[in-house]
Amino acid sequence: MMPKLIKKIEFDKTISKWFKSYDVIAPVSSKEGIHFKRIKDPKEIKLDGNQNSIYPPKNVFLPQSEVLFTVKNDNYEMPDQAPRKRIVFGMRPCDARAVWLLDTIFNKADDLDLYWGKRREKALIISVGCASMCSNGFCDTVGSGPFGKDGSDILITELDDAYFVDPLTSAGEALIKSLPEADDTQGKNAKLIQKGSVIKEHQAADLPRIREKLYEAFNTSIWKDVSESCLGCGVCTYLCPTCFCFDIVDEIDRSERVRNWDTCMFRVYSAEASGHNPRPTKAERTRQRIMHKFAYWVDNEAASGCTGCGRCISQCPVNLDIREMVQEITSLKIQ
Amino acid sequence: MDNLYEPIPMRIERIIQETDDASLRSFELSFMRDADEKAFFKAYNPGQFCQLSIFGKGEAPFGIASAAWEGKFVRFTVQNVGSFTDTIHHSRVGDSIGMRGPLGNGFPIQDWKGKDVVVIGGGCAFSTLYALTKHIMHADNRKEYGRIVVIYGARSSGLCLYKPDIKSWYQRPDMEIHQAIDVPEEGWDFHTGYVPDVVKDVAPSPKNSVAVVCGPPIMTKYTLPILVEIGFDAKDIFTSLEKKMKCGVGKCGRCNLGPKYICKDGPVFTLAELNELPLDL
Amino acid sequence: MDDFSQVRKEAARILSEKIVDMVIGFKQGTIPLKSQPMFITSQEDTDKLILDGFCQNNLAVFLHDQPKDKRIGIICRACESRAVRALVIEHQVNRENLYLIGVPCMGILDWKKIQDAADGPVTNAQESGDQILLEIGDKKQVLIRNEFIVDSCRGCGHREPIDVDIQIGEISPIEMNADNLPQTWGESFKSKSADERFQLFTEETERCIRCYACREACPMCYCTECFVDHIAPRWSESMVTPGGTQAWHIIRAFHQTGRCVECGACERACPMDIKMVYLTDKLNDDMKKEYGFEVGENEEKQPPFATITLDDKNRFKY
Repeated sequence: MMPKLIKKIEFDKTISKWFKSYDVIAPVSSKEGIHFKRIKDPKEIKLDGNQNSIYPPKNVFLPQSEVLFTVKNDNYEMPDQAPRKRIVFGMRPCDARAVWLLDTIFNKADDLDLYWGKRREKALIISVGCASMCSNGFCDTVGSGPFGKDGSDILITELDDAYFVDPLTSAGEALIKSLPEADDTQGKNAKLIQKGSVIKEHQAADLPRIREKLYEAFNTSIWKDVSESCLGCGVCTYLCPTCFCFDIVDEIDRSERVRNWDTCMFRVYSAEASGHNPRPTKAERTRQRIMHKFAYWVDNEAASGCTGCGRCISQCPVNLDIREMVQEITSLKIQ
Repeated sequence: MDNLYEPIPMRIERIIQETDDASLRSFELSFMRDADEKAFFKAYNPGQFCQLSIFGKGEAPFGIASAAWEGKFVRFTVQNVGSFTDTIHHSRVGDSIGMRGPLGNGFPIQDWKGKDVVVIGGGCAFSTLYALTKHIMHADNRKEYGRIVVIYGARSSGLCLYKPDIKSWYQRPDMEIHQAIDVPEEGWDFHTGYVPDVVKDVAPSPKNSVAVVCGPPIMTKYTLPILVEIGFDAKDIFTSLEKKMKCGVGKCGRCNLGPKYICKDGPVFTLAELNELPLDL
Repeated sequence: MDDFSQVRKEAARILSEKIVDMVIGFKQGTIPLKSQPMFITSQEDTDKLILDGFCQNNLAVFLHDQPKDKRIGIICRACESRAVRALVIEHQVNRENLYLIGVPCMGILDWKKIQDAADGPVTNAQESGDQILLEIGDKKQVLIRNEFIVDSCRGCGHREPIDVDIQIGEISPIEMNADNLPQTWGESFKSKSADERFQLFTEETERCIRCYACREACPMCYCTECFVDHIAPRWSESMVTPGGTQAWHIIRAFHQTGRCVECGACERACPMDIKMVYLTDKLNDDMKKEYGFEVGENEEKQPPFATITLDDKNRFKY
């Protein structure tokens, strides 16, 4: 597929054209930092170096809260899903890869989550690669990279005076059909930027080994050690682009059955009505979180469930660092 | 395209009080729409479960206690333990209720053809085993399987489920039935003691056999090693697991056992599979 | 604190003399501008103890998980010591089993604000007197410390750790509430009209993602079951709608009336930068005005809203 070009002076015009047929969702400035929301003006877009949003854009497809049904006389009616097509512009490759991973849960033909599926089929993801890795990111060690392609329809590389626009799917290609082609020099420059974006000292994580070590450590007390300072809040999981657990709740006043994100880090998540809780302390809950990312995902999809975005590290109120935790657990000598 | 989370409307056709203390009742639900009925019976396999749904109370999983040949209804045996089950217990014939299912894998009964089947149950978890036994005992299916041994325990005679049927099983020459209650009672002619001990006494032959165990966690925990002791291969021992569930279709993440979801990859697992899984139950 | 080695020595001493089984303090974080709470059981590890403006948690929160009969030493700034006293008053901890090492506090720094003010991703940060020395790759940058002290510390009226077993170092000598700094959020909130205040409250709460980091970071939020987690009956809307998030913030604040120790750990834990302290501060002010009660002022008095006596002659005030 032929790479195209958007000159920076024509950026606003190009994006504006999409408004006619698409809702465009993009990173903008907000009180807490960068936040993805629907924009009405291309000038709102904030592509600030390698800065990513604090709140992950997974909510474009899996909103934190959504109505599953309005219920009348035992009749469960699904609300209309976003009728307009959408473009998610400026997603980072780590988050696009997360969407790609979550498709394996929600977007399987024989087992489709209609809510995710309908949003997903009407959306294009245009990712913007990171010319340098963000402070706490480690995407290049967990199967992706600052210019990873998984999940994106189009991948953009920022050049000096233009954006190098690389279509990755036919839908992506169709969207940018009318843009001018990038020339060879621009192609070479983009390659150089992509190549220079990774950190040379970083080593790819040995996922099969990590997986094996985590299983070995399952019944040890290491989980208590690494989770001792954990507060048990939902920051790491709610901000994680691949965490997808949800709860289903009946909102009786409004006659709605809804779903909300939920998290294995909450005590009530696994507590049963009988009072029994299979994960009674932070140790078991932390174990679930880490094992899910680095063992169960590897079992099921042969991929890390962590895309290395670093949000959980940057935002954890007690600076629990998933890299350090995995390191500590996998280097454990098991008797 | 079907919505995985949408309950289908069902009507309560029949309510059977199973136990003396009325803590266990069976509910037979019929379909309000033909398409739902067809879809259900096309998919149903004994050992599966459904999410029953009452708006305002939420949803909860229940094992299916009827065999497909019994009629165009689905039976659930419900123990009154909380707000959701209390609501069901207080419903009447003719009331409507939501249902999603059949869910989960069920028992691999096709693989069991030509084998002896040892059915071991305790308490209300016997429900899916009842469905399994009914299925196998039907004339069309009976010849496909070898000897059938049923070991079923309850706390007391009053708490035994499906009494008329079980009584009739004693008359059948093609099955062996062992009932047990925990403590002795006057007039009780069968076993007394806990299920694991009864299994040890009965010692069903492991030769060309599979064993299926469903019961309270503590019963299952102590029964599985006894079956191994008797000589059953871990691959031929089956059990059904329970854990808190929400979606029932492997999406909400709640009921995982390592990389497997009990709702979707289970609830039926072999002991060999469980031996490989991290058990945070 | 200039000479922190005394604190490390004291921690090592109480461990080696078996006065305590564990010391709770802070260690260096894995990333710049952060620290990690640390739980020390062997005296060799006391070398790792640190204390600086990047220690953003209230360590008393970790007492919730510990058995009441465990003997624990805590490095206590004023906020931690006040939280311990409040927990003692509410019968959550056994004071005899705790050993409080009082240390001075220079005010906690807002790491997000520092990162925003930096010319690039901070790779190293050090405090030095009234300055913050940043490294941004090869570049260096100096910031004025006072400008980055979090709001809750700028208005701090409780510099002195209370009821400690040993006080090490001078009580914080620096005037944190510098006049040339802009108003704190809480101060400017107070000066607004009711409509404006509700508007601000709405804007803050609409960012809430209900991760409950505020709750979990709070030394005074120790309920075994929080009202938002209660299922039957459900006390609040479950969704991240205004109805859900506003209810959370209002009820959370009200449950803290006369109990909040004003440490601001809730705000610092919030990933969405939501202001919360202004609500509990106002409620605490009201408690002082209406009931003459201040958190931690003495060892016996229960928070008025957590107390009921049969001879209570006062009607509810509203």
